[in-house]
Amino acid sequence: MANLAIDSIKERTFDAIVIGSGASGSWAAKEFTEKGLKTLLLERGRNVEHVKDYPTTNMYPYEFEHRLEMPYADKQKNPIANRCYAYGEDSQHFFVKDDEHPYIQVKDFDWIRGYQVGGKSLIWARQVQRWSDFDFEGPARDGFSVDWPIRYKDLAPWYSYVERFIGVSGNNDGIPELPDGEHLPAFPLNAVEDHFSKSVSQHYKNRHVISARCAHLSKPNPIHIEQGRVQCQNRVLCRRGCPFGGYYSANAVTIPWAQKTGNLTLRPHSVVHSIIYDEAKGKATGVKVIDAQTKEEMEFFAQVIFVNASALNTNLILLNSISNRFPQGLGNDHGLLGKYVAFHNYTATIGAEYDGLKQYRTDGRNPAGGGYIPRFRNVYKQETDFLRGWAAGFGANRSDVRDTSGIGNALKDGLLHAKLGPWRVHSHMMAETIPKEENFVSLDAEQKDAWGIPLLRISIDYDENDRKMRQDYYEQMTEMFEKAGFTNIHTRDDNRRPGNDIHEMGGARMGHDPKTSLLNKWNQLHLCTNVYVTDGACMTSTSTQNPTLTYMAMTARAADHALSELKRNNL
Amino acid sequence: MNRRAAVRTLLYIAGGTLVLPACFRESGKASIDLTNLSISEDDEQLLAELTETLIPATDTPGGKELLLHLFVLKMVDDCHKPEEQEQFIKGLSAFSTWSSHELGKRFAEADADSRTGLLDKVDENPDEALKKFFSITKRRSIQGYMNSQYVMTNLVKYELVPGRYNGYAPA
Repeated sequence: MANLAIDSIKERTFDAIVIGSGASGSWAAKEFTEKGLKTLLLERGRNVEHVKDYPTTNMYPYEFEHRLEMPYADKQKNPIANRCYAYGEDSQHFFVKDDEHPYIQVKDFDWIRGYQVGGKSLIWARQVQRWSDFDFEGPARDGFSVDWPIRYKDLAPWYSYVERFIGVSGNNDGIPELPDGEHLPAFPLNAVEDHFSKSVSQHYKNRHVISARCAHLSKPNPIHIEQGRVQCQNRVLCRRGCPFGGYYSANAVTIPWAQKTGNLTLRPHSVVHSIIYDEAKGKATGVKVIDAQTKEEMEFFAQVIFVNASALNTNLILLNSISNRFPQGLGNDHGLLGKYVAFHNYTATIGAEYDGLKQYRTDGRNPAGGGYIPRFRNVYKQETDFLRGWAAGFGANRSDVRDTSGIGNALKDGLLHAKLGPWRVHSHMMAETIPKEENFVSLDAEQKDAWGIPLLRISIDYDENDRKMRQDYYEQMTEMFEKAGFTNIHTRDDNRRPGNDIHEMGGARMGHDPKTSLLNKWNQLHLCTNVYVTDGACMTSTSTQNPTLTYMAMTARAADHALSELKRNNL
Repeated sequence: MNRRAAVRTLLYIAGGTLVLPACFRESGKASIDLTNLSISEDDEQLLAELTETLIPATDTPGGKELLLHLFVLKMVDDCHKPEEQEQFIKGLSAFSTWSSHELGKRFAEADADSRTGLLDKVDENPDEALKKFFSITKRRSIQGYMNSQYVMTNLVKYELVPGRYNGYAPA
């Protein structure tokens, strides 16, 4: 019996455990397995194998029972998922259904989740921009949150490292606040996007409209071919999973890469209950897992643990990792864990029409979605009555207009013989929010989920700064649109609830000082250094960039640190 | 359309379980399984004639051949709110009575011109349910038509894999 127990423990012991198989977790797994570490990658959802498990990927619209529309019953049953722009008949199998995984909304919050191998990297918007020191120095300069313990130079080589591997299309635009990168050719702007870009450059000193940078293979390099991927085919059906591997997902890229090393153990259906802390050793020894299907409880062990469960779930796991030493959650002596959560404010959009450049239209589809306007507000100095600023997406399109007014032959004619409509332009705001103590998550004292894990309470809201920024977006964009000759300009508050931006960040922020932060400059818990957090939970502030690239770069950097610390027997 | 394509279209459009083609039925019920709507065989036939009037067969198929009426039923049954479903059923019945009265015969028996002429007058009808029924039917017929396999592969082609993007294509 004793031997059996020892064997069993041996089988459940790895060099490294990674919790969560999305973009950041799969990057940790790739780094560890490549360097020879036996790695256990835990995922609470089912397995999704590249191509094989993309059931809708090659379906035509008429092959969908409701032509991609979600039925009324599903909208009633899953209002949160249905409010996500990417949730539809072709992609709903990659989203968490509301009633399967409840949480408590102390304030309205749309928590959009993807519980499966690959996580949300299957359904993400694929926009990737680097941070600059204008972002990292933000909290220190403007007096909020705490100072980031890293600067751009710490992350720059890791941005390059990640970009080269995943493939990022974009130009090097020479904009200090949006550093250049290792880019594949950009998807160019179209006629009206170019027109707007030129107009903005003409009228403003520090404002730019550039080709959106996205994690698509516009022109694959040998490394991407080696990954089994080919050039993006401009389908823009990405949320179904891409059979070409045209965009970066964990399923297409980092997980198969890790598997090829022979060092990866991928365990789906593994709900992490908590991290096990050994008081005598003064470090974490493993994780407690509940099998999602059998509800069996089991333990796995490793020298180093990466927590990449997605921002709020990472907070949940740490809060639920209770021991004598850490009665409030792992590394949480000061009670800051779960606090200072922030997100992006995507509530504002603006649209208009353009009467010129009628000799052009677009042909095919642009996976980048068009243009990107880097943050220009309060970059070089504080110039408004709100803190920080916003970036924006910008796109122009000209679509077919079909006359549906008739009946009979007239209707049929109208439908089959389209006319080219006017150019329409559209932009959406992506604003920074300020992390605050009162925006927090915590564990419910009584209610538990089907696996015996406390439900997460979420209490997060917009504030006055967010509203002022939205007003500024309307004013500035309207002015920029007017200068470009756009007409019929209309602004819109889409009233989306916090969380619907799907960029929740913070709760276990990085910082210099263990008294005011959870993680050090290497993403280690100050008080339990063999536990690293490199997903959204680590974010000290949010800035305006789409965050996933930064998580991946931070993960690769932290994994490199963990590897060298392991070598020195420091963990 | 060859038979296989026709059967596939039928399945795509009907979505749910196909019970039996109309000609074999004796139940007097609709030919597809519906969860929320109660539709008789007569209702279904009227709807078929209506979609055919909206989008008639020419040298290319029309509403009936593309089974747009079944698509309309499927969508109303699955994707509309209960209040709209109620109005749809009420409006369908009102349309049946009104059209017979106006045309002096059943809608299905009237010639195409009279039917088209009648549909042009729907807007003037004071019955809100009838108007709602008609606007839902028209909208869903258009959707079903434009998203039918026939139209998407023959007339307004849908590209699954464009493989290109040109932002300066000639208009």
